[in-house]
Amino acid sequence: MNGIDDLITLIRDELGIAVTAGDAGRSLDEIPGWDSVHLLWLVTVVEQRTGRPASFPDLLQARDIEGLYAVLGGA
Amino acid sequence: MASSEATAGHGAGPPAGLSELFRGGDLAVRYPEVPALLEGLDGLEMTRAGQLLGRLDPADVLSRHPATRTIAVAVTGHGSVAPLQPALTAELARHGLLARTAVSPFGSYLFDLADPAGRLYADQPDLTICLLDAGVVFDELAVPWRPEDVRRVFAEKLRTLEKIVATFAENGRGTLVLNTLPLPFEIVAQLVDYRSRAALGAVWREANARLLGLMETGPAVVVLDLEPMAEELRLSDQRFRVYAGTPFTTELMARYAREVGHLAGGLAGQGRKCLVLDLDGTIWDGVLGEDGVDGIAISDGSRGQAFRAFQRVVKQLGAQGVLLAVVSKNEVSAVREVLRDRADMVLREEDFVRIAANWRPKHENLTELAQALNLGLDSFVFVDDSPHECGLVRRELPGVAVVCVDGDPALHAGRLLQDGWFTTREATEEDRARTERYRDELVRKDFLDGFESIEDYLRELGIVVRVRRAGPGDVPRLSQLTLRTNQFNLTTRRLQQPEVSALLRDPGRLVLAVEASDRFGDNGLVGAVFVRREADVLHIDNFLLSCRVFSRGIERGCLAALVEHAIATGVTAVSGEYRPTAKNGIVGDLYPRYGFRPVPAEAGDDGVARFRHDLREPLERPAHLQLEADFSGGTRS
Repeated sequence: MNGIDDLITLIRDELGIAVTAGDAGRSLDEIPGWDSVHLLWLVTVVEQRTGRPASFPDLLQARDIEGLYAVLGGA
Repeated sequence: MASSEATAGHGAGPPAGLSELFRGGDLAVRYPEVPALLEGLDGLEMTRAGQLLGRLDPADVLSRHPATRTIAVAVTGHGSVAPLQPALTAELARHGLLARTAVSPFGSYLFDLADPAGRLYADQPDLTICLLDAGVVFDELAVPWRPEDVRRVFAEKLRTLEKIVATFAENGRGTLVLNTLPLPFEIVAQLVDYRSRAALGAVWREANARLLGLMETGPAVVVLDLEPMAEELRLSDQRFRVYAGTPFTTELMARYAREVGHLAGGLAGQGRKCLVLDLDGTIWDGVLGEDGVDGIAISDGSRGQAFRAFQRVVKQLGAQGVLLAVVSKNEVSAVREVLRDRADMVLREEDFVRIAANWRPKHENLTELAQALNLGLDSFVFVDDSPHECGLVRRELPGVAVVCVDGDPALHAGRLLQDGWFTTREATEEDRARTERYRDELVRKDFLDGFESIEDYLRELGIVVRVRRAGPGDVPRLSQLTLRTNQFNLTTRRLQQPEVSALLRDPGRLVLAVEASDRFGDNGLVGAVFVRREADVLHIDNFLLSCRVFSRGIERGCLAALVEHAIATGVTAVSGEYRPTAKNGIVGDLYPRYGFRPVPAEAGDDGVARFRHDLREPLERPAHLQLEADFSGGTRS
């Protein structure tokens, strides 16, 4: 991923959740339609694309999209 | 990662058409296009599509497309079952079923299914999925454990599951889907000696066998054997299991969802009935027109043997009620010669209901075949090795399921079987004799061509119709008739086996089985009439007849028998209704044709037409058929 915008696009396209760059710092709990089960699909998609594993425990700690990016961006 | 990776190859995002519709906010508006957009997608792609489809509000889709069929699904299980939902949504949508799904929280199956007063039973879903995994047993084992401990805990769990099945049979609606518990290597390998591993393997499989045996307890339960489904797929992702409680990989969940999609499609009466095969490159090696009858390879060499193995698979399907037909660009005489004279052919002329070998476009042949067999094109599965032919059929006839096999015949059987197009809860005796009956039917058609008038033909046919009170042994076939019959089906009320059984037990109901035979053979149980007595009126809840026996006056015979029975038992009228669907237009004027008068519509009738026969005079029996009516027992009010 080249930047957090890529992750936002991914969430929009893969999960059908209407997020924008302005949502990056919003708590995941406040994003309409978000559910923790979506993490599984995001990990599946990102790992499939990069061929590198992401740290699941770190992802579970993430509170917002920026936090997710901090883990997935390095994957 | 580089941005080019983000769009490259496999995993490049949801299917383009579906994504575009979703992004444009048009997915609900254009929902009827969804099955076609899902065609050909693999498991992960279906999961992707399901993520987007799951965002739709079913009420919104229904308000735009009121005829969309819906299915209420409850998903529960031992672990976290929510990741099953996207694939399930997409697989059901592929069968034209709009899912209304309730997903239970982690590990809720006991809570959900053991308590008849709980939410799940109150919701009355059409399909209840209870996803089980090895954690059902191993989460309860203390360390250290031995195979004996596994035996004890699994036995306890089986007793619980038996109780759940009994509770469901008593209180549930629709179908409960359980599954066997695949044994993960990670557990087997915790035992260091092979003797203990063998003991564990034996204990485990015995218990899974008992689990599979629960299917015999009643028609409301289906136990899917998950182990064979996991072949070629990873069983679980340890991280997903440990951190998220998800028992299986996304790929295996998608595979399972596909199976459930076919099960649900079948229960909703959308099972496929006919397998249409290309010949050259599909069931034998070579080109008949060029290589000649003796030049094509059927068992010669390794490729030939692979084709022969595929033929055996096709024959096996045919023996269970799947109608087989040929649509091939070839000379028919040469094709018949191969089927008759090549000693190494597994498939023979008599295995096929029809052989369409000519040079016309395949979609035209398929359309004609559908007419000749009186089936919808959505009953067909078409197999061809030519991407061009596959593409053409897909484009011209979107209802036909197309299986495109490729150059390696060893893969043909897997391609055909991986999608369970013909999977059904139960094959009946009727199914096993189906090919023969349809062949008889085609002979009847030829016989018809020799007569001046349809009346002459019918008289010569020597039809015998037996209308009798149905018994418990008829339940599977009666349920199947309600599920599979789309054309001659007055109200299209689908009934699962437990619902038919309940009607048989109800003293206020009369369920009639209709059997027919003629000079060409026995048609078997071809129709059903579901009657309810209300005060002094007999009300026909539904009347159905297999499409094989249309236009022979059998329907008139059935109604005549019912009217006679009504008069003899002192009721004052027989009433019935017609609920129009996209497929049952053929029976729109059935009741008025036989002396029933239209009854003014009531508020909320919603397109339903009601009719009533005042019994002032009996309905004349058709002269050309012999009618035997046996209502012994009659209806009791």
